[in-house]
Amino acid sequence: MFVLDDLLFRPFVGIVDAIHTIALDELYDVDGLEDELKENQLLYELGERSEEEYRRRKAELEDELEIAREVHERLASGRVEVKS
Amino acid sequence: MFPVNNRYVYGVVEGDPIEFETDAVGGASVVYTISHRRLGAVVSDIDTTDPEETDEDATRHDEVLRRIMNDGDGRAVVPMQFGMAFESDRALKNVLRGALPAFRRALNDVEGRVELGVKIVRAEDADVDADAVTERIADELEPIAAQSVGNDLFSDRLVLNRSYLVDREDREAFDEAIARLEEDEDDLVVRYTGPFAPYSFVDVTIGAQR
Repeated sequence: MFVLDDLLFRPFVGIVDAIHTIALDELYDVDGLEDELKENQLLYELGERSEEEYRRRKAELEDELEIAREVHERLASGRVEVKS
Repeated sequence: MFPVNNRYVYGVVEGDPIEFETDAVGGASVVYTISHRRLGAVVSDIDTTDPEETDEDATRHDEVLRRIMNDGDGRAVVPMQFGMAFESDRALKNVLRGALPAFRRALNDVEGRVELGVKIVRAEDADVDADAVTERIADELEPIAAQSVGNDLFSDRLVLNRSYLVDREDREAFDEAIARLEEDEDDLVVRYTGPFAPYSFVDVTIGAQR
């Protein structure tokens, strides 16, 4: 019984795990956030975005980026648990 | 204040040593060179080997390099990216020794030249033929530049994002070409920046772990 469970269960966990990882990748999109940071800077430099708006957006994006990087670090080290 | 045996590296020069006071990365106040033969690593003291890239320190890093580049008639410097720090002079000298030919080549490539940045941005709501614009820019700028390299198009407003390595004596011609572009293209905004240390045109990677 143990063997059967093990065999049936493992591939399933593998797929859930993979889907979960992809979802996390999209949710915590480091490259996308970095691009947005650069765009924010550019629009500010071009005078299309006020200093206030620029600073607010920059702080927001930097916070999101920090979280995204941390999630990816944990994913890479296997420290993110997949719970179903 | 703090253990001062860690060295934060800005770049590498050849010839006479450098020393000046300034607001340096990580709170230090003196920038100087640590030499191996004719090569000198431009450094300041720092309390970590893994400095965090704050806006303030990134600006200081740039300003130190710019000051060296603008020294006298202009001095060649191989710039390091932000964040390179070594735990001892010995480790740093080992790197200079190991990469000596690569540094010499890189110094030779950038001698008498500066890096300029050009971003062409589509005006909001403008419909632009990106290929035609790219071709026009290439026709204007490539003949003047010694080298160029494309950068990431990080926004859908960006039509072109390139760095150009330009001889100091061709600066004026380059400026004039940019002015012509700005005048002719109503739907485009030209963001022209620099001169910078030639970050995009040196290919020496060093690591403290070597």
